[in-house]
Amino acid sequence: MVERLSFYLERSSPLHRLNPTTKLVVAFTLILVAFLGPGLLLPSLIFLLILTPLSFVGQVGREFLRTTVRLLLPLFAFLFVMQSLFYPGGKTVLFGFWIFSVKLEGVRFAFLTATRVLVMVSSFLLLLFTTHPGVLLLDLTQRGLPASVAYILASTLQIIPQMQAKAATILDAQRSRGLDTSGSLGRRIRALLPLVGPLVFGSLVDVEERAIAIEARGFRSSRPKTSLVEIEDRPLERALRWLCLLAIILALGSRLWP
Amino acid sequence: MRISIEDVHFVYPGGVEALRGVSLSIEPGERVAIVGQNGAGKTTLVKHLNGLLRPTRGRVRIGDWDTAQVEVHRLAQRVGYVFQNPDGQLFCRTVAEEVAFGPRNLGYTPEEISQRVAEALALAELEDKAEANPYDLSPSWRKMVALASVIAMDTPIVIFDEPTTGQDVRTIRRIERMIEMLSQRGKTILTITHDIDFCAENFERVVVMGQGRVLLDGPKEMVLGMEAILAQTYVEPPQLTRLGMRLGFEKTVCTSEQFLETLRRRLDHPQSDPRAEG
Amino acid sequence: MAVIEIQNLTYTYPATSHPALREVSLTVEAGEFVAIIGPNGAGKSTLCYTLAGFIPHFFKGELQGEVRVAGQDIRRVRLEDWVLKVGLVFQNPFNQISGAKFTVYEEIAFGLENIGVPREEMKRRVEEVMALTGIEDLADRSPYALSGGQQQRVALASILVMQPEVLVLDEPTSQLDPIGTREVFQVIRRLAHQGVTIIMAEHKVEWIAEYADRVIALAEGRVIGTGTPADVLTDPRLPDYGIGISRYTAVARRAAGEGLWPAERRLPVTLDEAEAGFRAVEEAHAHLH
Repeated sequence: MVERLSFYLERSSPLHRLNPTTKLVVAFTLILVAFLGPGLLLPSLIFLLILTPLSFVGQVGREFLRTTVRLLLPLFAFLFVMQSLFYPGGKTVLFGFWIFSVKLEGVRFAFLTATRVLVMVSSFLLLLFTTHPGVLLLDLTQRGLPASVAYILASTLQIIPQMQAKAATILDAQRSRGLDTSGSLGRRIRALLPLVGPLVFGSLVDVEERAIAIEARGFRSSRPKTSLVEIEDRPLERALRWLCLLAIILALGSRLWP
Repeated sequence: MRISIEDVHFVYPGGVEALRGVSLSIEPGERVAIVGQNGAGKTTLVKHLNGLLRPTRGRVRIGDWDTAQVEVHRLAQRVGYVFQNPDGQLFCRTVAEEVAFGPRNLGYTPEEISQRVAEALALAELEDKAEANPYDLSPSWRKMVALASVIAMDTPIVIFDEPTTGQDVRTIRRIERMIEMLSQRGKTILTITHDIDFCAENFERVVVMGQGRVLLDGPKEMVLGMEAILAQTYVEPPQLTRLGMRLGFEKTVCTSEQFLETLRRRLDHPQSDPRAEG
Repeated sequence: MAVIEIQNLTYTYPATSHPALREVSLTVEAGEFVAIIGPNGAGKSTLCYTLAGFIPHFFKGELQGEVRVAGQDIRRVRLEDWVLKVGLVFQNPFNQISGAKFTVYEEIAFGLENIGVPREEMKRRVEEVMALTGIEDLADRSPYALSGGQQQRVALASILVMQPEVLVLDEPTSQLDPIGTREVFQVIRRLAHQGVTIIMAEHKVEWIAEYADRVIALAEGRVIGTGTPADVLTDPRLPDYGIGISRYTAVARRAAGEGLWPAERRLPVTLDEAEAGFRAVEEAHAHLH
């Protein structure tokens, strides 16, 4: 069975101890500043001078860099080839070969887009690496996210690996009955019903039982809920979140009044 | 059709070594039960018989086919595999259609299909439910539909994965009658089971697995009495076997017939009482 | 004192024509361990759902007769209050994991969070039931990464932590292997010793024979027998109703047919009783010779 349900890596670091909402706000701020802020180099500076050092503060630096590279390298290669060659309206030709010419505008655009995506993906990675999803959801619930929404999010996170396992068993059972799942498109489409049918029906049964199970544990109780885990939130962090808001406004301002 | 498993090793992706050198050969028409604790390698082993898994090392042959060379849907001509949970395979609107799915995949003619479906429905005691929707039936009958849908493929080898789990006595008796009929038709029958009494009453040969190896393999009267080795893989001897041991029976008994026969013999020759000897 | 009183209960599920339970009457004393046996479809699960309040509050349908737990009428209470009185554990361990929590410890605390138990008391109660169910070492594991037997003990702990007066278990071991079955029965025995009222639907007769105070046999929605395990489990009508009996009872009945079981002795339901009976037969024969 699957022990790992998320990206979360257990460490005892100052970053892990931060309030989850603070981390969420910081992640969003960095992303917004990277997308809205001025200058070609801003997103890459955010990555190099803020996110990367932070990942080492959080004791997840190696995993952070490795995963970021693995996720984004293919995308970047694609982006650079496409944009540097086909960027519309580029004038400054850097060099050319055969029928292609690489233009400066294209390279600049590719670089900016790539580094913005880099900030977006890596901010979230850092959040997920250092924040337990349960704690994040709990914190959001305590800040007003409805319990049923939090429940749906948490159970979806957990149910995906289970659904995969179930689908694999169904596939095995039907192949054992001679179902050929390889070959032409037509054959594959015909093979879909025997696979999806049991998965859907099985899930319907599961949903009813699970509803009974959580009901049996007072999920719909009208009493005010309490929580096992106490999530710390310090005044300093509150101040930090206000600062983030300020940064977003500044970035927005730089966009509106350049 | 002969099953031959030659020094099979299997390592799951991720590195768990589930089989560590298993060799077995099973002759046509044998009834074999594989027992052992969860994680002993039982399911991993039988999944090798119809190609769902391929050995990391070693070889599995079904008749003249090497399972590593044949696709799963073709191996389905020779090996039928009934999974534990019927709900993981039922998708048709009627029982008859569900049962016809396998034979249709194997490319039988329409006449052959309807004949095999009729036979399978009879064996599973489902004749009066042929037109029912499988999902309108009780879980016990859904189990019988799943059994029928594999039996209808008319394979020389049939594997039952935990057939009695969660079933009541009536359903277990139906399954036992089905096994008996299949056996009379010369099929090789394999089961994986935790139900050691079911194993003792319906199978001739017992294979005990533990930690990816075969710990014991032989006639049930030999295997099921070896309490110490069975305990290594958390298997207890069957109820009547334990009773026989308590009473000091010199021979291992597995069924009530064997128990009563031994009891009668002892009553006729009371000196065989161990306390009298000791 | 009777904690459960059922009188003339007849219940029909929505969109079905035949009642799942017919004129069922029974009482259960506080602290009793009652096992319910019967073939699949006999109404065992329906009875469990009724006691736990899911009938008529979750499954609608038509309910006639009276169901009272601790003096309260089941129709007059809200399900959210009833579940605090009667806990329910069912077959499939996997579907009882809430999905909302990431560790076993949090999973067990889930119910207490829902009903607003203060944090310190919550921790104390969670740790108590983990000790009781023998799962302390699983506290930090993901509830999804456990064996069936472990998951079922987590499900049991998650209900026990709510401190219900009555615990209803619907075939809690049917999906488990022998080790898992043993683990669950050992916990239930411990609970019974502590005085929790237990109602348990179960096929595994050899375990019932050892643990239960009383057995109720159901067939086709009706109560067809009630009494001590020794009485009910040796009832000669059970096989006709499709109810399993232990191999000890079955073999002794055949032996009795040949005069190989002491005439005055009741048929055995456990290994010990079977051993004692057959020893007596052998001794009697030894004297004859």
